[in-house]
Amino acid sequence: MARVTVDGQTLSVEIEGLDKLWALKSSLTIPLANVRGATVDPGVAKDSKGIRAPGTHIRGVITAGTFHIDGERIFWDVHDPAQAVVIELADERYARLIIQVDDPAATVALIVRALTESQDEL
Amino acid sequence: MGRPKAFDETDAVLAAAALFADRVYAGVSVDDLVVALGVHRHSLYRTFGSKRGLYLAALRWRRENQLEPALAETPATGGLEALNRALNQEREALDLFLIAAVEQASTDPGVATEVGLFFTALDAAVARALGEDHAAGSPSVAEATAAILGHRLRAKATGRPD
Repeated sequence: MARVTVDGQTLSVEIEGLDKLWALKSSLTIPLANVRGATVDPGVAKDSKGIRAPGTHIRGVITAGTFHIDGERIFWDVHDPAQAVVIELADERYARLIIQVDDPAATVALIVRALTESQDEL
Repeated sequence: MGRPKAFDETDAVLAAAALFADRVYAGVSVDDLVVALGVHRHSLYRTFGSKRGLYLAALRWRRENQLEPALAETPATGGLEALNRALNQEREALDLFLIAAVEQASTDPGVATEVGLFFTALDAAVARALGEDHAAGSPSVAEATAAILGHRLRAKATGRPD
């Protein structure tokens, strides 16, 4: 499970509890300018995840850590696909983050609102 | 980043527009889009950024390539009837905007902008159609625009083609 917050022009993703261990990461900080969008996507876990390195993947139980697919690096932290959110990035170490959050619709709304507000300020 | 695309972006946007014209936004899942567009999920995210990015691209394409040209090309001499006919030719595009107007536009500023641009183009075309013979007793631009939109809404609700 992850917690997404926006502070000013920065998006923060905190990996919670033991997932820090599985994902080998405790937090990610991304400038809003490098966030392209966010999507509720419960179907994402069905697709091929590519090659894991490093991280943990126990089919049907947990997908956590860094995965490589189509030449892209993707960060995963998902136990329950029903709560999965996809955050698309640009010019970052990860091409996208696929994370489980408590309230996917609210998380996507938070990110979209932050993106539209930061665009207005430009 | 500079990766070759294995699909035609316009085809994908049009397939998405067809889905979004038929259902509310939340009723179209990424799974639905992946199937309808025939693209890989990661390609979809790489190209459009998000489901919302694809939705906004669909609205923009329908407005710029179908609705605005149809409205601009309708001869003013045909009056409102010609305008209604022209829009009827672009039913699918119009339906996409009707759903956007009643649903996402109130919560998403990007969608509100798209809907606003369409309404502006429609108002301009209606004003032209009402034209010089804007006699006393004829409808105002706002009334005529509302009637055109209401006509389509009602036709859609009753399942009749027009």
